[in-house]
Amino acid sequence: MEIGLNHYLVLSTLLFAIGLIGVMRRKNLLLLFFATEILLNSVNIAFAAISHYYGDLTGQLFVFFVIAIAASEVAVGLGLLIVWHKRHGNIDLDNMSTMRG
Amino acid sequence: MIDHILSILIFFPALAAMLGFIIHKDSIRAYGVAVATIEFALSLWLWFAFDSNASGMQFMEQLPLVPAFGINYILGVDGISLFIIILASFFTMIGIASLTDTKNEKNMIVTLLFLQMTMAGVFSALDAIVFYVFWELSLVPMLYIIGAWGGPLRIYASVKFFLYTFAGSLVMLVGMLFMAYLYYQATGAWSFSILEWYRLILPESFQLWLFVAFFIGFAIKVPMFPFHTWLPYAHGQAPTIGSVILAAILLKMGTYAFIRFSLPMFPDASVFFMFPIAVLAIIMVIYTAMVAYAQEDIKQVVAYSSVSHMGIIILGTFALNVEGISGSIFLMIGHGLVSGALFLLVGVIYDRRHTKMMSEFGGLAHVMPRYATIFGLMLMASVGLPLTVNFVGEFLSLLGFYKQSHILTLLAGTAIIVGAIYMLAAYKKMFFGTVTNEKNANLKDVNRRELLALIPLSIITIWLGIYPKPVLDPINNSVESIVQLMHDKSTTSEAKSRIPNLVKNVETAKTSEQGAH
Amino acid sequence: MELYLYLALFSPLAGSLFAGLFGASPRTKIAGLVPSLLLFVSFVSSTILLVYILSGGAKVHVEMMTWMATGDLYIPFGFVVDQVSVTMMMVVSLVSTVVHFYSIGYMDHDKGFNRFFSYLSAFVFSMMILVMSDNFAGLFIGWEGVGLCSWLLIGFWYHKESATWAANEAFIMNRIADLGMLIGIFLIYWNTGSLQYDQAFAAMNGLDKEVLTWMGIFLFIGAMGKSAQFPLHTWLADAMEGPTPVSALIHAATMVTAGVYLVVRANPLYDLIPHVGLFIASLGAFVALFAASMALVNRDMKRIIAYSTLSQLGYMFVAAGLGAYWVALFHLMAHAFFKALLFLGAGNVMHAMHDELDPFKMGGLRKVMKGTFVMMTLASVALAGIYPFAGFFSKDLILEVGFVEHHYIIYTVLLFTAGLTAFYSFRLVALIFHGEERYKLFGIHPHEAYKFMLVAMSPLLLLAIIAGSFKMTYFEMVTAVLPATEYHVHSAITYWIMTIGTQLFVILAIAFAYKKYANNKVKVPDGTSKMENRLCYKVLSNQYYIPYIYEEYLAKPYKELSTLFWKQIDMKVVDATVDGIAGIIYSSGEKTRVMQSGNLSTMLKWMVAGTIGLLSLAVVFGLAARYSGEIKTILSGLGV
Repeated sequence: MEIGLNHYLVLSTLLFAIGLIGVMRRKNLLLLFFATEILLNSVNIAFAAISHYYGDLTGQLFVFFVIAIAASEVAVGLGLLIVWHKRHGNIDLDNMSTMRG
Repeated sequence: MIDHILSILIFFPALAAMLGFIIHKDSIRAYGVAVATIEFALSLWLWFAFDSNASGMQFMEQLPLVPAFGINYILGVDGISLFIIILASFFTMIGIASLTDTKNEKNMIVTLLFLQMTMAGVFSALDAIVFYVFWELSLVPMLYIIGAWGGPLRIYASVKFFLYTFAGSLVMLVGMLFMAYLYYQATGAWSFSILEWYRLILPESFQLWLFVAFFIGFAIKVPMFPFHTWLPYAHGQAPTIGSVILAAILLKMGTYAFIRFSLPMFPDASVFFMFPIAVLAIIMVIYTAMVAYAQEDIKQVVAYSSVSHMGIIILGTFALNVEGISGSIFLMIGHGLVSGALFLLVGVIYDRRHTKMMSEFGGLAHVMPRYATIFGLMLMASVGLPLTVNFVGEFLSLLGFYKQSHILTLLAGTAIIVGAIYMLAAYKKMFFGTVTNEKNANLKDVNRRELLALIPLSIITIWLGIYPKPVLDPINNSVESIVQLMHDKSTTSEAKSRIPNLVKNVETAKTSEQGAH
Repeated sequence: MELYLYLALFSPLAGSLFAGLFGASPRTKIAGLVPSLLLFVSFVSSTILLVYILSGGAKVHVEMMTWMATGDLYIPFGFVVDQVSVTMMMVVSLVSTVVHFYSIGYMDHDKGFNRFFSYLSAFVFSMMILVMSDNFAGLFIGWEGVGLCSWLLIGFWYHKESATWAANEAFIMNRIADLGMLIGIFLIYWNTGSLQYDQAFAAMNGLDKEVLTWMGIFLFIGAMGKSAQFPLHTWLADAMEGPTPVSALIHAATMVTAGVYLVVRANPLYDLIPHVGLFIASLGAFVALFAASMALVNRDMKRIIAYSTLSQLGYMFVAAGLGAYWVALFHLMAHAFFKALLFLGAGNVMHAMHDELDPFKMGGLRKVMKGTFVMMTLASVALAGIYPFAGFFSKDLILEVGFVEHHYIIYTVLLFTAGLTAFYSFRLVALIFHGEERYKLFGIHPHEAYKFMLVAMSPLLLLAIIAGSFKMTYFEMVTAVLPATEYHVHSAITYWIMTIGTQLFVILAIAFAYKKYANNKVKVPDGTSKMENRLCYKVLSNQYYIPYIYEEYLAKPYKELSTLFWKQIDMKVVDATVDGIAGIIYSSGEKTRVMQSGNLSTMLKWMVAGTIGLLSLAVVFGLAARYSGEIKTILSGLGV
C-alpha cells in the first residue's frame, strides 16, 4: 500500500480533532498550549502534503510562517504564563475569570 | 426669505435653543415665549404666502446631501401639512407661555424648542431619509420631557414610549430602503424623494409588503389598537406640556404619514387593507371609549379618548375619497386643538390639587365656574357637537367612509354615543354635585396665565367649527390631487372602483363624444 | 323680508350672549329682561313673516355663508322661511317669549338666574336653526344644539344628583338616536348628491325603494330620540328634574316636537314609502296608549304632564305616519299652547307648595290659587279635546284620519287613549285643586304666583281656547307645501255619531275622575291600600319596569364590561403582550450573559461551536449555490 495524499489528510484531521478536544477539555494552561501546538501542526501537515501533491511550494512556505508564528506565540504565551504563575501560584484556567460579563 | 421659510421654520428654534443655554435662567421664560412667538408668526406668514388654489407642493427647497444615493434635503408644504405645521408652532407657543410650576424651567424650554424643530421638520420633509431623521429625532425631546419631568413611573413610561415607537420606525426604515431599492431597479437611479416615489407604479405583491412595513411604523405612532398601550403610560406620567404636545402634534405624525406615504404610494394595497384597517379602527373607537369610561384618573380618560378619536381619523383616511381624507385631516387639526386643550385643563386642576383622581373632586362647578365653563366647551367639542371644530372632521370622515361600507360606518358612528358616555360621566364626577372634599372648597379659578392658553383655544375651536372654509379649502385642493393620483396609479380593478376618479366628467364627455361619432 | 328672517333667528342668540356676559356675576334683573325682550323681537319678526307668507308671499330663502365644502359636498348655512317653518317659528317664538317672561318671576330667587336665561335663549336659537335650516346638516346643528341646551337645562341644578343623572341620560339617549339621523343624512348624501331639502327630495323620486326605506327608517330613528318614542322614551320623564319653565318650553312645546317636524319636513320622502309611514303611525298609537297608561297612576305632577306629552306626541306621529302631515303640524301647534300652559300652571303650584310634586299632598288649592286653577282647568279641557277648545279640532282630526284611512285598530287605540287622557288630566286637576286641603298636614302655606306671571301665561290661555278657529286659514297656508288631503268621514251620520260619541266618552271620563278624586275621602297614599298592591298598579307605577331594565341590563353591564376591558384585556392581555415581548428580549440577554463568563475554556468551547456553525453554513450555501437552478424551480412552484 502506498502512502498517498489521503493518508496525510486523515492524519491531519485526526491530529486536529485531538487538538480541538484538548483545547476544549484541558484546564491547565500549559497543556492548552500543547493542544494549540497540535492544532497548528495538524494544519501544517495538511499544508505540506497538499503542497507536495500539487507541486506548488506556496503551501510549504505557509508552513514555515505558521511554525514561526507558533514559536513566537509560545514564547509570549509562556512568558505571560510564568508571570501569572508567579502572581497566583497556579495556572488553572477556571481561576482566570476576571473578565466575567 | 420666503423662499427658505421652511428651513427657517425648522432651524430657527434649534438655533434659538442652542442660544438658550447661555441665557440667564430668570429671563429664559421671556426668551422662550419670544422665540416661540416669532416661530408662530413665521408659520402664519407661511399660511399668508401660501397659494390656497394650488394643489401641489409649495416653498420647495432642495440641497444635495448624498447625491450618489439620491438622498437630498427636500422640503415643501401643501394643504395637508400646512395646518399641522401651524398647529405645532401654535402649541409650542402657548405651551411655553402657560408653563406653570416647572422645576428646571430652562431645560424644559430648550427641550421644547428642539421638539418644535423636529415637528416642523417631519411635516415639511419631502425626502424619506430627512423625514425619517426628524421622525426619530422627535422621540428624543419627548423622552426627556417624560423622563425628567414626569410622574413616579416616568422612567418606565419614557423607555416604553421610546423603545416601542423606535422599534416600529425601524421596520418603516427597512420599508423605505426597500422602496428606494425598487426605485433604483426601475429607473437605474437611487432616490429617496417622496415626490419621485409617487410616480413609481409597483406591482400589487410588492405594495402589500411595503404597505405592511410602513404600516407598523405608523400604526404604533398613531397609536392604533393593539399598539396603543404605550400611550396611557406616556400621558399618565408626562407633565402637562408633554401630554399636550404629544396628543396635539406627535400623534398626528402617524396619520399624516399614512396620507403622505401609504395612500399615494400603495393605492392597491390601501384598498386591499382598507377593511382590516377599518375594523381595527372601529375596535379602537369603541374599545378605547369603553376603557376610557372605566378610568378613575381624568388624564387617562382624556388619553384613551385620544386613541378613540384617532380611530375616526384613520377611518376617514381609509375612506379613500376626497370627503373622507379631507375630513380626517381636518379632524387631525380639530383633535389637536381639543385634546391639547383638555390636557391643559387637566393640568390646571393638577397644579392645584396634585391629584388627577376623579373621586377626589366633585362639585367643582361651584368653586371654579370659569374652569367648568371652558372644560364644558371642550368636552362638547370632544363629543363632536356641531359648530365646534371636531364635528366638521368627524362628520366628513364618517360621511366619506359611508361610501365604502354602510355597516362599518354604523359601528364607527357609535363613537358619538360612547364618546358622550365617558365624557359626560367624567364631567359629572368632577364638576356636578356638591363639594364633598374639604380641599376643593377654596380652589382658585383659572388665572390669567392659564386663560392665555385656554381662551385662544376656545375661540379657534368655535371659529373653525362655524367657518372651516379657510382651512378646508387648501386641504381639499391637495387631497383632490392625491386622490386623483391614487386613482391613476392603481392597477387592480377593485382599487379603480373604490377610489373615485375626479376627472370622470371629462372622460364620460369624451366617451359620449366618441359614441356620437 | 330677509332682515326679519335674520332678526327672528339671531335675536335669541344675542339674548343668550348678553345673559352669558353676566354668567359669573350675581343675579340681576336685566339679564332676564333683555333676552326676554329680544325674544319678543324674534316673535314680532316671525309674525311679520307669517303675515307675509299668509298674504301669498313667496318663501324667503337666504344663504348666509358656506359651512362645509369638500369634494362634491357643499353645505351652506342656508335658511328658508316657508309655510311649514313659519308655523314652527311662530310656535317656538311665542311659547318661548311667554316662558321667558314667566321665568323672570319663576327663577326670581335662584342664584343661577343669569345663567338660566343664557341657556334658555341659546335653546331658542338652536330651535330656530332647526326649523329654519334649508338642509339636513343645518337641521342637525339645531338638533344637537337643542340637545346640548336640554342637557344644560335639565342639569341646571347641578348640585342635585338626580338632575345631573337625568341630564346625562337625556343627552346619551338622544345621541343614540342622533346616530340614526346621521346615518340617514349619509344615505341621503350618497344617493342624492345633496343635503339641500329641495334638491335631495327632487332626486328621491328616481331612487330605489329599498334605499328610500332605509333613509326613512334612519331619519325616523333620529326623530324617535328627540320625540322620546318607545324605546327611547325614558329620558323625557326623568327630564322633569329641570326647572318647570324648561319643561314647558323644551319638553312639551318645542324640542320634543322636533321629531314630528322632521317627519313633516321630509314628507316627500315618507310619501314614497307608505309602509314606513304605517310603522310610524303604529308606533305612535302604541306610544299614545303606553304613555297614557303610565300617567294614570303616577304620583308626580310633572311626570304626569310629561307622560301626557309623550302620549300626544304619539298622536302626532300617527297623523304624520298616515300622511296627514298638516294635521300633525296642527296638533303640534295646538298642543304646544295648552301643554305649555299646563306646565306653567304646574310651576305656579310647585312654587306655592315649596317644590312639592305629589298631587296627593295638595288638594283644595282652588281657594288660594284662583288664576292658576282656571288656567290649568281650561288647559286640561283643551287637552281632553272638548269642543270648542283647541284640542278638539286637532286631536279629533287625528282620530278621523285614522278612521278615514281605514286603520281601525289605530283608531280604536286612539279613541281609548282619548278617554284615558281626559281621566288622568282631571285626576290631576281634581287632586290639586279640589277636595280636602291635605297640604295643611305638611304645614305648607300656599300663595298665588306673581300677577305678571299669570299675565305672561294669558296669551297661551287665549290660544288654547281659540286656536281651533284658525284651522281653515292654517290649512290653506300649509297645503301650499304639504299634501292637501282633507279628511272627511263620508257619511254625515257616521261623522256626527263619531264626534258626539267621542265627546260623551271624554266627558264621562272626566266625570269619573272628578267623582273619584274630587272628594274629601282622598287620603295621602301610604302603600297599604288595596289598589296600590295590585300587580297592574305596580307595573304602571314602575313604568313597566323599563327604566329598571335599562339600568340593570344595559347601563350596569356596560360599566362592568368597560372595567373588564380595561383591567383584564387592556392591562393583562394587550399591554402584557407588549411587556412580555420586551421581557423575553431582556431575559434572553440575562440568560446569555453567562456565555460571557470570562472563563477561557468555556469561551474556547463557544469558539469551537461557532467555527462548526460557520463551517456548516458555508457548506449549506455552497450546496445552495451549486444547485441554485433546481431550488429556483421548486420555489417558483410554491408560488414565492
